[in-house]
Amino acid sequence: MDSLIAKADAIKPLNKKRKTDKHDSRAKPGPSTKKSADADPTATSVAQHTTLPRSLRPSSPPPEDAKKYSHIPNKKLRTHLTRQSTQNARSKKLLKDAELLLTEEAGLMEVEGELEKTWRVGQEEITTAAGQQAAQGRQEWKMDGGPYRTRYTRNGRHIAVVGSKGHVATFDWQTGTIHAELQLRETCRDITFLQDHSHFAVAQKQYVFIYDRDGVELHKLKSHIEPTRLEFLPYHWLLVSVGNPGYLKYQDTSTGQVVVEHRTKLGACHTMCQNPHNAVIHLGHQNGTVTLWTPNLPHPAVRLLAHLGPVASVSVDPSTSGRYMATAGQDGTVKVWDCRNWKGAVRTWNARGGSAVLEWSQKGALAVATGGSVNVYTKPSIQTPFTAPVSPPLYLTHPVPHRPLTSVRFCPFQDILAVGHSAGVSTILVPGSGEPNFDSSEADPFENKKARREREVKSLLDKIQPDAITLDPSFIGSLAPEPKLSTAVEGGHDIPYARLPRYERLRVSGKADETEEDRRDGAGGSDEEGADELAKGALSKAEKEKKKMRGKNKSLKRYLRKQRKNVIDPRALAVRKKLEKEKEERRKARAIASGQEEAPKPSALDRFKRSS
Amino acid sequence: MERMFAKPFVASLEGHVDAVETMARKPETLDIVASGSWDGGLIVHDVSRRSRLLHIEDAHKGKVSGVCFGQQDRLLSCGVDRNIKLWDSHKGFEESGEEDDTGAGPSKRKPLSIFPGKAAFNSIDHHRYDPLFATASNLVQVWDETKSAAISNLTLPTSTETVTAVKFNLAEASVLASIGSDRTFTLYDIRTGKAERRIIMQMRSNALSWSPTFPTTVLLASEDHNLYTFDIRQLNTPSQIYKGHVAAVMSCDWSPTGLEFVSGGWDRTVRIWKEGVGTQPEVYHTKRMQRVMSTLYTGDARFVLSGSDDGNVRIWKAHASDKLGIVTARERAAIEYRQSLKARWKADAEVNKIARTRHLPKPVYKAAQLKRTMLDAQRVKEERRRKHSRAGENKPKAERKKVVIAEQS
Repeated sequence: MDSLIAKADAIKPLNKKRKTDKHDSRAKPGPSTKKSADADPTATSVAQHTTLPRSLRPSSPPPEDAKKYSHIPNKKLRTHLTRQSTQNARSKKLLKDAELLLTEEAGLMEVEGELEKTWRVGQEEITTAAGQQAAQGRQEWKMDGGPYRTRYTRNGRHIAVVGSKGHVATFDWQTGTIHAELQLRETCRDITFLQDHSHFAVAQKQYVFIYDRDGVELHKLKSHIEPTRLEFLPYHWLLVSVGNPGYLKYQDTSTGQVVVEHRTKLGACHTMCQNPHNAVIHLGHQNGTVTLWTPNLPHPAVRLLAHLGPVASVSVDPSTSGRYMATAGQDGTVKVWDCRNWKGAVRTWNARGGSAVLEWSQKGALAVATGGSVNVYTKPSIQTPFTAPVSPPLYLTHPVPHRPLTSVRFCPFQDILAVGHSAGVSTILVPGSGEPNFDSSEADPFENKKARREREVKSLLDKIQPDAITLDPSFIGSLAPEPKLSTAVEGGHDIPYARLPRYERLRVSGKADETEEDRRDGAGGSDEEGADELAKGALSKAEKEKKKMRGKNKSLKRYLRKQRKNVIDPRALAVRKKLEKEKEERRKARAIASGQEEAPKPSALDRFKRSS
Repeated sequence: MERMFAKPFVASLEGHVDAVETMARKPETLDIVASGSWDGGLIVHDVSRRSRLLHIEDAHKGKVSGVCFGQQDRLLSCGVDRNIKLWDSHKGFEESGEEDDTGAGPSKRKPLSIFPGKAAFNSIDHHRYDPLFATASNLVQVWDETKSAAISNLTLPTSTETVTAVKFNLAEASVLASIGSDRTFTLYDIRTGKAERRIIMQMRSNALSWSPTFPTTVLLASEDHNLYTFDIRQLNTPSQIYKGHVAAVMSCDWSPTGLEFVSGGWDRTVRIWKEGVGTQPEVYHTKRMQRVMSTLYTGDARFVLSGSDDGNVRIWKAHASDKLGIVTARERAAIEYRQSLKARWKADAEVNKIARTRHLPKPVYKAAQLKRTMLDAQRVKEERRRKHSRAGENKPKAERKKVVIAEQS
């Protein structure tokens, strides 16, 4: 029996929890263990032949930046938390090492000398310098069919063009294969691909239509009336449309149901964009406001007065995780806003040429198409705050003779900008605007048929519910705020111990871990504040709960109002006096709380004072 | 997703006429299992081929109460006819069929030796290395395979109980544990020749199993619908209580990994538990499976066998949504990723609900509801009594402390 117990102790000894033992074991690790080993010869002889299986032996020393949880007495919880934190630290280090795998480099345009400017370099020079493969990006497609709008798929391989007169075409621009070409013979206002190039949706005159890859009409979405703009949220499988009646509709394209429709109550809306980081929809309205919408709220999450006059275009920066938003108004101004702090525009300037069309690229370059040319600005100048309404230093410019310029779109993993105008679509090269390293599990420009099918199924399985869309994407998974219920611990509540919430139970038994608590409400602040509060005679939480007035005290007030004021009624007088006393008490409490008055010091003669 | 693909039932091995009482796994193999039933029949199954290697129809007169494998393909069985029989489990009955004088088929196999005893035997277990085995009847006796009488008697002199199960420790082969009908659990050592420690519990246990990885952990399947793991260094409280069954737990067995174990209950369900997690086990049930009397893990920890009242030995998958074929490295990576996703999000209410709900047959579900109502009522009454008596007079007692009544050594 003893050898059995010795074998088990060699692997995992039973620790009898006594306070002295705990301190000793932490203070002196070396000598104590050696002594105990020598004392028991059976244990030593057995321990030499007892080894842990390889899978249970520790693999590598834990990294230094892992948090240590030595203040937690529960061993299971402590080991679990330390294991979690070491795992986190190790995976962060591995992530850093994985940057080796990013083999491609971003493009760049540099000028030598002070006098030369980057915007003086024309497209011909860039195409000759870039090389044949990249020069394929510089193309002009002449089509007649009204001013053209374009859209790329998420992997940048396929492009869809739609003209206002009803000419729709989707094709693979790298190989030149046309998937579908349709003449719809009615006004078409926007086009978007759904999950990949196999389906696309067109915002036609009355309704939204969904087509197959080959142009076969699949669905007529009658609930989307007079759509002007379309967006597809890829992780939620939601098709969003906004139209002339001013309704914003979310439709789930995998189940086919309309998730929610919001009345914007701001009239017809002609600009929409999505924030790719948190799937929030930004709308620009005719009265100059920009509103941010989520499916959860019937009113906009954020309402911002951006311009004097209608908003012509909105776009969100994907490179800074959706931090910056650019808006252009019909008054000719272009403003860059910080989405975390809506106080004022980060940067404002006047775009010569009236209302502009905007788009951010993956690396943070902003393309502004106004008048007859497209201007491209790069970071960091457009994102640093600047007071004067001067346009930022220009990176690239390209004149497009066909007015009006109706759309600008950056191709996702290429340095290409597609400009839609009244005579077709032109693509120009913008070095350094596209992300060079693509993540093939997210968007792969070189995926074959099998990969496309697998990715479609996997993204369906990973579909996120629409009510998970929030302004702050890290909200889900964060700690909930403390409930406002008065605790059962203090005060006369008779909730038995077993039914208390977990934190209250820990507090009662004295084992609550206060170190990780988030001190949010002011009353539970630092210790000095708490002491001052008590000294000023503030009521405890339970007392406040008891004395809180519930309701409006309407009956008393109604009684007083019904009595005519010139009739002196002793009852009414008494009631009025009581109300005044309450008011005075409240004012006093407020004054004491704010520190203007001192709390009355209790004296021994208080009992003789008449209560007036 | 794994709930959609959870199809745990693999096959049913027939052959027994009456209920299957015990099962034993052959130590050095993965798939050979012997089962004994109430009609006295003894079958050695090949689980991977789902065939019978050996079928002895009348191994004992009366039920076969214990089966275990000895050394070198030998099988020991004990029955209520006060005999222990040693068999040779070679699959050789085709050759010997014609040469047999009686002209009888393979069922007329003869045992290698018979050990007669004084009382009906309840259980048998073989020593890991030596040719010794221990039996449980009204005493715990140790026998040598070469001698026809027991070589020693290990019970405490003061005990007058029937011993229902006996098992050797897997790490230290001379330590033995037994459970008795007077709610006891006793530890013996062969070298000292006597009982070392003993605890008396609230209710009697039905089965016993030593942990294969941690040498001092033992699992007891108790009549009070719970399973307890004890560390024998500290026998006054169980180290973990496993609550889930709604009727007595009849049998239990550890997985060879030591991380999980299976229990079969009188409530017609087989439950698979994770070590350390005392609730929400995996539940297997079928309309055709009646009271589960014995459960076993196979040697590769992928399958669970259950022997029940209806005479069938059923094979189930240990992880209900496992793929039985070859799993490529990519598939395995995807499965592990999904498991870690589930572990990360298990605090979310909906994810937790999907992960833990299992379909239960209506009688089991209703019984569980009734049990919960009754326990709630008891608890509320306790709390009210405590509230209305002087503070400090009756303090709540931890569930763990209520299990063991006394410890004797």
